[in-house]
Amino acid sequence: MTNSNEHIRQEALEWALATQETDFAGWAALTEWLEADARHGAAYDEALAAGNWMAELVATAAPAQVRAANDQPLAQPRRNTAWRRRGYIAMAAALLAVLLIPVWQMRPQPYDISTRPGETRTIVLDDDSRILLNGNSRLALDRARPRFARLDDGEAMFEIRHDEADPFVVESGDARLVDAGTAFNVMRNGAALDVAVSEGAVIVNPDREAVRLQPGRKARIDDASGRITVSQVAVAEVGGWRSGQLSFADASLTEIAAALERTLGTPLTVSPAIVHRRFSGVLQVQDRDEKALLAVAPVLGTRAVKRPNGWELVASDAQP
Amino acid sequence: MPPQGLEAVLIAEREALLRFLRARGAGDAAEDILQDLWLRLRSAQTGPILDPRGYLYRAANNVMHDRFRSAQRHRKRDGDWVSVHGDASAASEPPLPDRMLIARAMLDQAEAALHAEGERVLQIFRLFRIDEMGQRAIAQHLGLSLSTVEKDLQKAYRTLMRLKDVQDAE
Repeated sequence: MTNSNEHIRQEALEWALATQETDFAGWAALTEWLEADARHGAAYDEALAAGNWMAELVATAAPAQVRAANDQPLAQPRRNTAWRRRGYIAMAAALLAVLLIPVWQMRPQPYDISTRPGETRTIVLDDDSRILLNGNSRLALDRARPRFARLDDGEAMFEIRHDEADPFVVESGDARLVDAGTAFNVMRNGAALDVAVSEGAVIVNPDREAVRLQPGRKARIDDASGRITVSQVAVAEVGGWRSGQLSFADASLTEIAAALERTLGTPLTVSPAIVHRRFSGVLQVQDRDEKALLAVAPVLGTRAVKRPNGWELVASDAQP
Repeated sequence: MPPQGLEAVLIAEREALLRFLRARGAGDAAEDILQDLWLRLRSAQTGPILDPRGYLYRAANNVMHDRFRSAQRHRKRDGDWVSVHGDASAASEPPLPDRMLIARAMLDQAEAALHAEGERVLQIFRLFRIDEMGQRAIAQHLGLSLSTVEKDLQKAYRTLMRLKDVQDAE
């Protein structure tokens, strides 16, 4: 009997571990195993509960506190009264049962990924989420926090595997973006951050304004004032840079030059005479080189002129 | 817009889901639980779901696990719990600092127990259950074989179950 109980515990443990994998698919087999013996269900729940128990202790004991992975457990004054009141734990655990937010982290293991102008990179995370990094961009990731990224510079398109229990978080400047869906583009743009959503939803600054962006919505977050301006964007245009399609809505030529520089890898400035000009529309860039710049400049009502340190956009009627 | 993907999967998997719920101990309540679950998922759903079938089973599994825990809690409260405090309603919300202190003390004990099984056991458990990394990702991340990760996790879980048994029995 003891043996068979031990056997059940072992099987239950294996099921508990297997079913916690996000890609677990053996629900029919689990059903059959549960039906095979009335004791299986409780054994399975007990195994699950053991892991949850500790996760909840972590959430209760150290909210938002970072502890190094190799730390010895902290010495705490142990009060006898605390043990007498251990019943609290069950309650606290119950309150937290639905939260299950991994608030406590491993020792940070940050690393940067950057691209040169004109270069793009695809980063595939462990859970198959993808980040496509545009040229001249810098992204900070952390191995200890697989659901976090910080865009320090440039532009990235996020195609995130959504997990309600563990949303993906993107930070950039003071802004915090929490994914509530799957696909969105983030662009650091001079003194502002642009976020555009093509699938699912993104919540901007959930602790402050908590602006929810649905597909086809775009927000600009001003760095200095923190002001958020929401506008429309065609879903097909979100992350269009991946196929050389750059979309702008009432953008200054300076912004456009930065986007072109990122995509083409060509240093590009704008003549002071036309920096105030604005443009709305889509630029289709075929090749990622200077030829594309010559083709695109007229669409902006400009001409691309070669300078010692790169290229400059000047008014199309300007004297050379 | 109704989440058609999820709804289609629910219709196709309805009988299998009910059978799963019954196998998980739902008994006659299986239909009600599924209905309730569906309404909740429908109102909560915001984005496309990559694996609707897994999503439904996982949600059903969570509901049943919550029921298991709340049954356990009631058993415990009927035992020693109320006798300490006399009043169940007053006991349900202990002050946060106390809760944190108690949890911290217990956490230390649990961590020490895992650490005693080996530093790697503790580390792998944290990656799996706190950081919610998959076993394959952990194996890759630490340069270990999948079966090593699995064995360490089993060790960690067995240790925690023992510890929890002792504490529940106290």
